[in-house]
Amino acid sequence: MTVTFDSIVRKVEQQEPLSFDDGVALFAHPNIMEVGLLANRVRERLHGNRTFFNRNFHINATNVCVASCRFCSFARLKEGDPEAHTMTLEEAWGKLQARVDRNEPVTEIHIVNGLHDKLSFEYYTDLLSGLKRIKPDIHIKAFTAVEIHYYSQHYGMTVGEVLRRLHAAGMDSLPGGGAEIFADRVRQKICADKCNAEEWLHVHRTAHRMGLRSNCTMLYGTIETVEERVDHMLRLRDLQDETGGFQTFIPLAFHPDNNALMKLPGPTGVEDLRTYAVARLLLHNIPHLKAYWVMLGVKTSQTALWFGADDVDGTVQEEKIYHMAGAETPQTLTSDELVRIIVNAGRDPVERDTLYNVVTETEALVSQKPFRRNVQKRSLEVVP
Amino acid sequence: MSNRKLKLAAVSFLNARPITHGIERGEGRMGERFDLRFDLPSRCTELLQSGEVDLALIPIASLATMGQPLHIVPGISVASRGPVRTVLLVSQVPWEQLTTIALDGASRTSAALIQILSKARGALPLFVPADHDAVLSGVKGTHGALIIGDAAFDAANDFPYVVDLGDAWRELVGLPMVYAVWAGRPDAADPEAVSLLRESLRMGIEGRSQIARGWAESSHLAPDLCVTYLHHNIRYGLGAEELSGASAFLARAAADGLIPKAPHLRFFDDGRPERPITTVRTAPPLPVPQSGRDHPNKSIDALLSDAAAGIRLGTEDALRLYDKASTIDLGAAADIRRRSLHDDGVVTYIIDRNVNYTNVCVTRCKFCNFYRPPNRADGYTLTREQLTQKFQETVDLEGVQILLQGGLNPDLPLAYYEDLFRWIKANFPLAIHGLSPEEIRYIAELEGMSLRGVIERLIEAGLDSIPGGGAEILDDEIREKISPLKCSTETWLEVMRQGHKLGLRTTGSMVFGFGETPRHVVNHLEHLRALQDETSGFTAFICWPFQAEGTRLKLRDDTTAVRYLREFALARLYLDNFPSLQVSWPTMGPDVGQVALRFGGNDFGSAMIEENVVSQAGAVFKLSAGDIERYVRDAGFIPRRRNMRYELLATS
Repeated sequence: MTVTFDSIVRKVEQQEPLSFDDGVALFAHPNIMEVGLLANRVRERLHGNRTFFNRNFHINATNVCVASCRFCSFARLKEGDPEAHTMTLEEAWGKLQARVDRNEPVTEIHIVNGLHDKLSFEYYTDLLSGLKRIKPDIHIKAFTAVEIHYYSQHYGMTVGEVLRRLHAAGMDSLPGGGAEIFADRVRQKICADKCNAEEWLHVHRTAHRMGLRSNCTMLYGTIETVEERVDHMLRLRDLQDETGGFQTFIPLAFHPDNNALMKLPGPTGVEDLRTYAVARLLLHNIPHLKAYWVMLGVKTSQTALWFGADDVDGTVQEEKIYHMAGAETPQTLTSDELVRIIVNAGRDPVERDTLYNVVTETEALVSQKPFRRNVQKRSLEVVP
Repeated sequence: MSNRKLKLAAVSFLNARPITHGIERGEGRMGERFDLRFDLPSRCTELLQSGEVDLALIPIASLATMGQPLHIVPGISVASRGPVRTVLLVSQVPWEQLTTIALDGASRTSAALIQILSKARGALPLFVPADHDAVLSGVKGTHGALIIGDAAFDAANDFPYVVDLGDAWRELVGLPMVYAVWAGRPDAADPEAVSLLRESLRMGIEGRSQIARGWAESSHLAPDLCVTYLHHNIRYGLGAEELSGASAFLARAAADGLIPKAPHLRFFDDGRPERPITTVRTAPPLPVPQSGRDHPNKSIDALLSDAAAGIRLGTEDALRLYDKASTIDLGAAADIRRRSLHDDGVVTYIIDRNVNYTNVCVTRCKFCNFYRPPNRADGYTLTREQLTQKFQETVDLEGVQILLQGGLNPDLPLAYYEDLFRWIKANFPLAIHGLSPEEIRYIAELEGMSLRGVIERLIEAGLDSIPGGGAEILDDEIREKISPLKCSTETWLEVMRQGHKLGLRTTGSMVFGFGETPRHVVNHLEHLRALQDETSGFTAFICWPFQAEGTRLKLRDDTTAVRYLREFALARLYLDNFPSLQVSWPTMGPDVGQVALRFGGNDFGSAMIEENVVSQAGAVFKLSAGDIERYVRDAGFIPRRRNMRYELLATS
């Protein structure tokens, strides 16, 4: 059967999974508004008007890294380099302690690191258990599959053992990073010396089988073809069919500054929105699609809420990875600002925790001071 | 009311019949006011020249060769948007291989058109005059011919190479071609006469099918052919795009030496006196016009699909859409509308430079971080030296115009501007897109002149067009809060009205984020649309959010991307008579600007070589022409450079 836009629409209406050819056709379809409208329908079927965000902060405990991913400015950073930094445990714990002392209602810590070749494994388990001591109910989303794989090799354990020990120490779920593009051709060129696609998927499969949830990502806008993007997403979809453990898919736009791929132009707004829309349509079995405002910029993220996205990642204080790569977005958004951005996009904000339990519903969020909903103007303002 | 009977001359081709239809019927005032005769185009021109007729439907090129200034009847033309079918180049070999082209003596405008088009393709045949009846027989070998009128219908099928010149023109410049207009000496037509002429056309448009069939019968042409011709190939309005097309044609004809000088297009007065200048504090309340009607029974979906098809929205319709339509539905509808207005897949941009000749300003708008009150140490007025450096750099970077704006500086009289403009025109090949309603009204007040008087002098000195700045929100309540010393809504509109009547093109703008309500926004659009209905002088609309940094206005209003895209899409649907919408990448960033190309935008604004005012208040994006082209291509369009009137410039 030949693929036409209409045939794709029919499949989506009947909730049939789309094929590889469908995915490629969607990327090529000249009318991006039609693709967006279709993705929006799926988004609203799954989530209505609800748009999720959470209160989290990031810890990049170390940016020292033995890998040489060409899109990352941490690449090959060594201990002693001027930009290199490895936190002491006290320093890392202090970041949570400070927030607890200030009574900040944060629900998640997001921890990702470079691949350090001189730290002991206990550094990580101590890090986790120390954080849990300070705030036992905090959710720790930590270590990408790349790190897990590296630890298993570096410390001589199976992936399962690594995960078990980290989980016991306090890791509650896995972030989705390190996936980049699964196609070998691309990996060889942009991140040849970290885990490959099978290894990345193996980590997540193992985690899911242990009952841990995780996210998944795709880095687009480097040298990959459209076919390679579709292939990447379908491999994630296949694993999800097996285990059901992915919560959220996050397309990550490549950022061209301060890294070895600086000469590439990076994706534009329309391409970002199209990638979101196609992701929503292809990944019918992954519940959430997140617009990561740190990468996309606040404005495009807000628009993406109409092209398939239902989640705007959190307050993200102290984000480093993207900002060292040149992101010009603010380093943090307060939850008030996130609420305002979501409402002014015409969506209903819902504060969630890492596992998508509702922390605060829309009405409560919007009726709090310091907001005033101006029905006449159809906007939400922060009242000074 | 005048009772003078006016003598009219019009061409006798089929395409002019709808124009003269009401006059030919001669009922009521039509019969009392007009005396109509038919003749060939060149004869019509002669009759007008000699004064034997008061008004004539003349080929547009004749506006330049009459040796006296003429005024045009607004809203009426013989034009085409693409293929016209009755102006053809026919030949046995391709155009580039022709050594001569025979010109049918009957139309000077068509002759100029083919010469312009030949030159643009690098073809240089000899143009030879031929008799109307002998033109076809000479087409053999490398000798081609320009065929016009009825003969062209048949000729289209008789030759291996046929080029429709209306189509070729559109491909070259991206604008309609205007062939003929009603013209006469400035005192020839009073407001009633103008209104009757428009009524005559209206009757003709309604009766197009009958006119076509009648003509077909008496000339042995196929009836369907004639009906299609009058419905699709010939356009009769003189809207914003047609005006741009006409100016572009006259400019190119002058540049190629085919006419002595491109005349300014001036219109017969509608008899409406100029409104007195008011500021927001002195202005009486201004009623909001009603240029459309509402459809309270239509659902949101129906409103969207009708607006996408070009059906006019009323103000309440627009408010309902603003409130209830989802962002993506609004955008998709605007996208469809944009595609039907611009079906060539092109997104234009211009290379120009913003030069702020002075930052000294007495208006002190609260939202501005650029102005300096007089007598401050950091106030400046650029010297000729500084201006030379900026202008020369602009020319070197392939810029085609200067957007020349500044503060309201009490030390700069009208003479300053006249000198400046004359100097620019004498020394730099740059268009002057200059000043703004606020600056012009200030000059008028300083000099004790009328707005029209000031604008006329500025045009004489070299002003080519006026940017739409200073509109903010066209509502005096809002304006009073944010810029209490500024011109009123009515005066902003009046400057544009007078400028348009004098043949100037302008843009229209809106800045949001001042605490305005959706109704304020819709009223603003309504003012613009109603004025455009009157004058057709606006080329484009652009909007952007207020940039707050460093200004005295501490508003915390919604200026997010979704709001921008919604208002932008709504503007595309509401402003059905504005040809183009420009995205605002300097304030919104290139990614959102690019997305706006899919929410109704067809123009990427300017690769501005310099920008001072808005960037002082926080917006700091910079794009080269290469960047712009990349964003445009990534959005699925072909980037093309343009000038102020949206004429496409040659690709290098």
